[in-house]
Amino acid sequence: MKVTVNDVEVDLAPGTSAIDAVFAAGYDVPYFCSQEYMSPVGACRMCLAKVGAPRKDRDGNWILDDETGERTIFAFPALLATCTSALSEGMVIDTLSEEVKHAQNGMIEFTLINHPLDCPVCDKGGACELQDRSYEYGSGRSRFEFTKRHQEKHHPLSDLITLDRERCIHCKRCVRYFEEVPGDEVLDFIDRGGHTYIGTVEHGLPSNFTGNITDICPVGALLDATSRFRGRNWEYDHTASVSLDDASGSAVVVDARTGRIERIKAGLHPEVNKSWIDDGIRFGHEYTADPERITRPLLRKDGELVEVPWPEAAAFVAERLKEFSGKDVGVCIRADATLEEGVAALALAEHLGTGQVDHAPRYGPTVMPPAQATLQELAVSDAIFVVGDVSEEVPAVDLRIKDALRGVTPPPLLPHGVPIADLRLKERMPRKREILCVAAPYRVDLMRHAGTVARYDVGGEETLFRGLIAIAEGGSADERVLGMTLAAAKAFVDRLRAAKKAVIVTGGFVLSSQAAADAAERFARAVGARQLVLGPMANAYGLEAIGVLPSHARYDYASMVAGGAKALLISNLDPAADPAVAERLAESRLLVVHDMFMTATARLAHVVLPAKSGFEKDGTVVNLEGRFMPVRAAPVDAGEAVDVTGLVRELGLAFGVRIEGRSVRSARRSLRKTLGTDLEELTGLGAFVALPRRRVAVSVAARPGVRGRALRVPTMVRQEYLLRNPHLLATLGGPALRLHPDDARTRALSHDDEVTVRVDGVPRRLRVYVTDAMPSGVVSVPALPDAPAGPADVDLDGIVVERRRLEVA
Amino acid sequence: MSVLDIAKGMGVTLGHLFKKPVTVQYPEQRAQVAARFRGRHHLLRHPDTGLEKCIGCSLCAAACPAYAIYVEAAENDPADPVSAGERYASIYEINMLRCIFCGFCEEACPTGAVVLGHEFELADFRYQDFVYGKDDMMVGVTGSRWQRREAESKGKDVRLGLESSHRAELEGVDD
Ligand code: SF4
Ligand code: SF4
Ligand code: SF4
Ligand code: FES
Repeated sequence: MKVTVNDVEVDLAPGTSAIDAVFAAGYDVPYFCSQEYMSPVGACRMCLAKVGAPRKDRDGNWILDDETGERTIFAFPALLATCTSALSEGMVIDTLSEEVKHAQNGMIEFTLINHPLDCPVCDKGGACELQDRSYEYGSGRSRFEFTKRHQEKHHPLSDLITLDRERCIHCKRCVRYFEEVPGDEVLDFIDRGGHTYIGTVEHGLPSNFTGNITDICPVGALLDATSRFRGRNWEYDHTASVSLDDASGSAVVVDARTGRIERIKAGLHPEVNKSWIDDGIRFGHEYTADPERITRPLLRKDGELVEVPWPEAAAFVAERLKEFSGKDVGVCIRADATLEEGVAALALAEHLGTGQVDHAPRYGPTVMPPAQATLQELAVSDAIFVVGDVSEEVPAVDLRIKDALRGVTPPPLLPHGVPIADLRLKERMPRKREILCVAAPYRVDLMRHAGTVARYDVGGEETLFRGLIAIAEGGSADERVLGMTLAAAKAFVDRLRAAKKAVIVTGGFVLSSQAAADAAERFARAVGARQLVLGPMANAYGLEAIGVLPSHARYDYASMVAGGAKALLISNLDPAADPAVAERLAESRLLVVHDMFMTATARLAHVVLPAKSGFEKDGTVVNLEGRFMPVRAAPVDAGEAVDVTGLVRELGLAFGVRIEGRSVRSARRSLRKTLGTDLEELTGLGAFVALPRRRVAVSVAARPGVRGRALRVPTMVRQEYLLRNPHLLATLGGPALRLHPDDARTRALSHDDEVTVRVDGVPRRLRVYVTDAMPSGVVSVPALPDAPAGPADVDLDGIVVERRRLEVA
Repeated sequence: MSVLDIAKGMGVTLGHLFKKPVTVQYPEQRAQVAARFRGRHHLLRHPDTGLEKCIGCSLCAAACPAYAIYVEAAENDPADPVSAGERYASIYEINMLRCIFCGFCEEACPTGAVVLGHEFELADFRYQDFVYGKDDMMVGVTGSRWQRREAESKGKDVRLGLESSHRAELEGVDD
């Protein structure tokens, strides 16, 4: 469809909005309320342009100008809001004439009438759409000489978001966002006219995706509380990277100033997270600036850990390692280490001559399903079966499922990027709930959006899938096992089979049992669905793919710490949180811990080496769809902290050998040989790289049998750092022991009590969270890297109440 | 060139011999500083409330061509505010070695909080002593760091080697 914008002719698909035509033609109109990936509503009236179009007469012929013989352009009687106008053939859009300029100028003046103009103290200043647009399109003078509207300037919408009601220009982006994107309607306009303000009914914003409104608010009305007054926008170093918080590979922008991370914003990745990130990613960065962070190597001298220079620490480790035969040494890194770190760990293990090398948390079953779905496929899927709690495990997946429910395919990119106003999107669109079935052992958030809901028993994933396979094969299954009626199960299995793009999403609950994972794979094959497996951490996929795995099941991480390794190098893991393991580790002859903080394991170590956080390293991770994505280091002052490649470099220097993987570049050289791809060349969007081989399944050591009905559940926030993230901690109140009101009553526990309880033998301090989302008799505790999601043993009889909730007088 | 020309030149030279010299016996004798001379910065307070004028907006740092200014802001405790409004500068530093005394910071400041005064005797010994903080620049502080150290050790008042006329915008700074 050809249209003319000023003097440029562009050819765009029918249905494109006029505002996108203007941008596609390389021109600009100011706008405040339109937003990528959200419905255009025409609220701000800023995007005005003079629009005309040719018309057809009754016979369907274009009306032509008598003199020139060209099509006559009939101008619309008034200026149009281009964001809500669809293109028509031959449309002529004018954004430059005096009339348009005058109107835009007038709109700016109206918008600024009640705006406080306190840009110098506003955290949005310097990156504010209103500031920029006023500068570009405003007259620079104000004729408004009266008192402006005064409203609350510091309203904590939640512990994470501060609202300045004076600055709001009522664009409705935030209100629309909650309804359209996560589907949690927690914010709305209150009052009318000039008094309109944004507010919530309850305290706080009960959603996992609240922070995104701080990105999309065109002014400084909604602001990230973690970075309040921390710096001005032009002072931040912006690093486009990938979040290592979960397996989604969400694009983020890390804003740092003077060596400190001040805030995280969502990056744009049209095929992964679009422009949204969850609150765990956005607000979970404060731990990197924790004063207790280890920034220099520590060496045990006379029983005390004392700071030493790197060469001394490395020489000590190298010297002591000589005492061990290679195979007695164990090396384990955490599953959010980069591929490069994986290469370094493998090379170190090879140098030492040990097969005891692993990454953790790792489940026995593979996270690389044979029929891999992508997030883009998930977003256009016509039947989705979810087992587990994706909204907590990998929240980005939750949002892509909601895309599928809206039934609008991801928009094609235009010359200027994502369409600014996608006219197919509407407010309060009907959702195709029927295409979604969510199964979990307790009530999960996504169930609110699902047409079919199944609540199976704790640990019942295998039988659930077996039942579904039986149904798929024309048989029948027990309704108790299915957690839903047989009819519902049958109907959904039929839907999955009939669907062209069915996707089955499974997470830690399924991965924690080999039989369940096998059954899920069989079921996916039976109904012809693709699979998306949510790995336990950011790079579980990649580390498995390049084989950071023990040479034998006997050599896995659990066995290493259980005494299989006489000398241990552990990166970012804390096995000694378990007192039984701690006892054994205390006797180990060499324990080298690479970590950011003094964990229980670090306290036992002979050498503690400072580790970089996920924001501070360069490298590559592979997300849950198998996409290789570049992680970039933000300029953070982490003292002498290194990642695993740096660790291997220092040890190599002490050994006097050049170990492969001694730097990111060296690791990439080695990866180029195995992958056939130069990771140096990865762009921010990442790429799918054909993997040379599938993993040979290496199971993990059997865990002790599980009594009781308890679960370790995935959480959106990283529990290992929760206590060092003050804002998130204030919001969540602490790691939660969730249980049903009946159970709370029988055990005389009340909401917000602080308790200590043994989870798989590990004492953990938790906060009681009473909720009917848990079935009676089932309790859940948050998973940790050393204790990933799955069935657990929670010793409720031995629970100790540390502090009662303060009784309201 | 004639003899006459040479005589003319000598005449000018001789003439100067009998003029009053302009040399100032600094520091014994104080230097006269023009009213709009740009010397070390002062941070001002609101004369009525005594609250700091600076709101920690960093616009001075943005305007500074020498990257001499570093500002970190924090939120005021409404019960005990440091500045008027929500925000104040918790750290305000100017590196006097980098500063070129252009006055752009003063021009950029939306609250008139930072102004260039008349003091120019900033010599000191160590690099870090040239990084002036709020304590060194807050209105009421007289003298450079070194001068104040010197005065303290001698138990005397700071003696500035300059004299200047009053400048209205430096409320409470001069005299
Ligand atoms: S708070 Fe921001 S996003 Fe929400 S309506 Fe106001 S200006 Fe728009
Ligand atoms: S006077 Fe000029 S150089 Fe000195 S701090 Fe101010 S802006 Fe920077
Ligand atoms: S001195 Fe002025 S410009 Fe500089 S931070 Fe303070 S208020 Fe802002
Ligand atoms: S009316 Fe707001 S962008 Fe068009």
